[in-house]
Amino acid sequence: MNWLTRLLGTRTDTASLDAALRDAIASWEALAAPELGSAHFETRYVVINTEATGLDLDKDRLLAVAAIAIDREHLSPQDSYYAPLEPDAATALTNLLTFAGKGPVVVFNASFNRSLLERALDEHLGLTPDWTWLDLHWLLPALYEEHIDGPARLADWMKAFGIETFQRHHALGDAWAIAQLMQAAQARARALGLNTPRSLADLEHSRRQLRRHG
Amino acid sequence: MPAAASEMLVGASSDFLTRFSPFNRMEPEALEFLAERATLAFHARGSEILTPEMGQPTHFHIVQRGKVQARQLGPASVTDYAAMTLGPGECFPIGALSAQRPSTNAYVAVKDSFVFQLPAEDFLKLMQMSPVFHVFCTQYIASLLNQSRQQLQSTFAQRAAEQQTMTTPLGQLVKKEAIFVTPDSSIRAALEKMSEMRIGCMVITDAERKPIGILTQSDLLPRVVLPGIDLQRPIGDVMTATPHVMSASDSAYDAALEMATHGVRHLLVVDSEGRLKGVVSERDLFTLQRIGLRQIRSSIEGADDIEALQRASRDIRQLALNLIAQGIGAEQLTQFISALNDALTCRIIDLARARHDLYGIEYAWLAFGSEGRHEQTLSSDQDNGIIYVCPEGADQAALKSRLLACAKEVNENLAACGFPLCKGNIMASNPELCLTLEEWKGRFGDWIREPDPQALLNATIFFDYRVLCGNERLGDQLRAWLNRTAKAYSNFLRLMASNALQVAPPLGRIRDFVVEDDGTIDLKKSGARLFVDVARILALRADVASSSTVQRLRQAGSRMGMPPEEIAALIDGFHFIQLLRLRAQHLDTEHDAPGDNCIDPDTLNELDRRILKEAFRQARKLQLRLKLDYQL
Repeated sequence: MNWLTRLLGTRTDTASLDAALRDAIASWEALAAPELGSAHFETRYVVINTEATGLDLDKDRLLAVAAIAIDREHLSPQDSYYAPLEPDAATALTNLLTFAGKGPVVVFNASFNRSLLERALDEHLGLTPDWTWLDLHWLLPALYEEHIDGPARLADWMKAFGIETFQRHHALGDAWAIAQLMQAAQARARALGLNTPRSLADLEHSRRQLRRHG
Repeated sequence: MPAAASEMLVGASSDFLTRFSPFNRMEPEALEFLAERATLAFHARGSEILTPEMGQPTHFHIVQRGKVQARQLGPASVTDYAAMTLGPGECFPIGALSAQRPSTNAYVAVKDSFVFQLPAEDFLKLMQMSPVFHVFCTQYIASLLNQSRQQLQSTFAQRAAEQQTMTTPLGQLVKKEAIFVTPDSSIRAALEKMSEMRIGCMVITDAERKPIGILTQSDLLPRVVLPGIDLQRPIGDVMTATPHVMSASDSAYDAALEMATHGVRHLLVVDSEGRLKGVVSERDLFTLQRIGLRQIRSSIEGADDIEALQRASRDIRQLALNLIAQGIGAEQLTQFISALNDALTCRIIDLARARHDLYGIEYAWLAFGSEGRHEQTLSSDQDNGIIYVCPEGADQAALKSRLLACAKEVNENLAACGFPLCKGNIMASNPELCLTLEEWKGRFGDWIREPDPQALLNATIFFDYRVLCGNERLGDQLRAWLNRTAKAYSNFLRLMASNALQVAPPLGRIRDFVVEDDGTIDLKKSGARLFVDVARILALRADVASSSTVQRLRQAGSRMGMPPEEIAALIDGFHFIQLLRLRAQHLDTEHDAPGDNCIDPDTLNELDRRILKEAFRQARKLQLRLKLDYQL
């Protein structure tokens, strides 16, 4: 796939996918929306992370996706997902949808990850999930301003919490670190009375606004 | 592939774990089992991860990053550590999970911490599948046991705080500066000082500060006020001389025991040179006061009739149950029961003596069997006898019948107070057991020279005698003679040994325990008795005067050159079995109920089962020693 085909918008029609994938997508679509007003300890958050050929949204393309669930505030190695897009991007992405369900999803730096992933989903599966996205890039400085009081790189936040991972710049390796940051974010949010996914979404929203106007 | 992701993350967890012991030595499949099932949780600084109030812990925790503090609840000064900090790779709560009881520590994150957790049932599975992990946990528990060797049960007692208090050295209980006067001070000056300092007693010391007397508030009425003593007279005239003194290193238990034994309310604490350090009052031993040890003691002493003593007897039983519930150790518990039962028996004898003319007769009341060994449980029946001296020229038959009449009343009153009459008639009112020193020697001598099965059985009951009240010298003379004689007849000791080896500890080759047909273990027959029987033989051989199994093992063992750790382990094993017996009786309140002493090992928690197994191994070790000594 080159920049030209992308430009021409050769997006796949769901109808062209094989039956098993169509069924999986249909049952994903049939899932109920998550209850954003329930508490963290009742919520399954899904941390999603991507791996791309580079950091340029226009030129680079998605290589692999990874996801780790934080189910009721716990990280379980078993509850995780990783797949390269080659050779079968449609299957890799469909399985990601099945794993993530209806979210809420957590990313670090949505402007890149979310854009890249939404584009791939649209391209290969012809859909855009209506997930609630929570971006730690904004949430962490709002919750832990004693560590870093503005948007910072993942490496800085890992250092602030002493978090290590088994492989940096690998979709799953970084997801493992991001998931731990999300656990820390949940604990602090709870201490501040922000008990639900919705309250985190509101916090992120107001931060973005402040940043824009401040 | 979902599998690929979890493999990577499980790999990451096990890579982390292998940086620490014991996980670095763990079998690969066990490590994988752990890494697959461990989930990661975040605990913000200051948050509680596990506390005793949370009940039985549901998870095993391994610190991944951060710092967790284990805080011992209760008085901080009484344990080796008040707080212990756990860092990455360290885990908790091993003892509580193994025993399936609430943690005695509170675990609090002192830094933002990430902690792996494993469900409790997986923790137990891991112990089963990994010998390395099993050894790690067992050694950890053993180190806990070591820390509190005096208090074997502390690992499973839920109310650790209270019992720990009772191991506090008296030196630490003495809070106030000692207040004292010399014997030549006037009574008035001493009383003024007592009133000014608001203290309940005044200590009288010599010039070197060594205590020589005490005057308590309750002495004032009979000794000062009612006789109208001149307050200018020296206090030395009215004080109680030779007061009860304890060393600063003695424990609160020792003090409580001393107070219960002698019926006093104040004890003087002295330093290593015998100088007054302070006073410990009953009130200072608050936990015991709440239980009412002293009240029972004074109600026994003040009892004028059997009804009052029956009430006291019920109180003793209740006290014992309370103490069991509090998790007190077997040694202390049996000592308390024994001290109070002794007081009760002595009072019953006093009351009987007042109605029977025993004037001028030298005698001693003997306790046999478990009572003689200070090992009474709540369901022991009475085993007693009398030793007396018949003065030259006296009418022995008349004298003996006076003793028997008195003994009969004592036996009946003991029965009324909850010590059932002995079915085998081993009681002082039996003319066969009310004997002079010479007659006892003859009786014992017959058994030793002709050790038929009945003689050997008798020896196991009667050789464990002790003088409960009366002339102790008579008991000492008999003991000295008995030890000398038994030692000379090595065939007798050999037969005793072979008898003691008839019952083996119920340890199974395949299963943990060999049980009776009804699935239980008789902790008396195949537990405690194994220790008692060997200890008796060792004591006879090593010329130990004590009748208590623990003392016999301790003294004979050290005389025979057994290493102190080995002796301590034997004693711990014996205490543990005794404690389980007492706990089993806790439920059966009837005397000699059929269920007494029987325990179904399946109802024990993992830790207790393991300690019981170890206790039986100690019994086997002791038996093996005997086997080698006598080449049986």
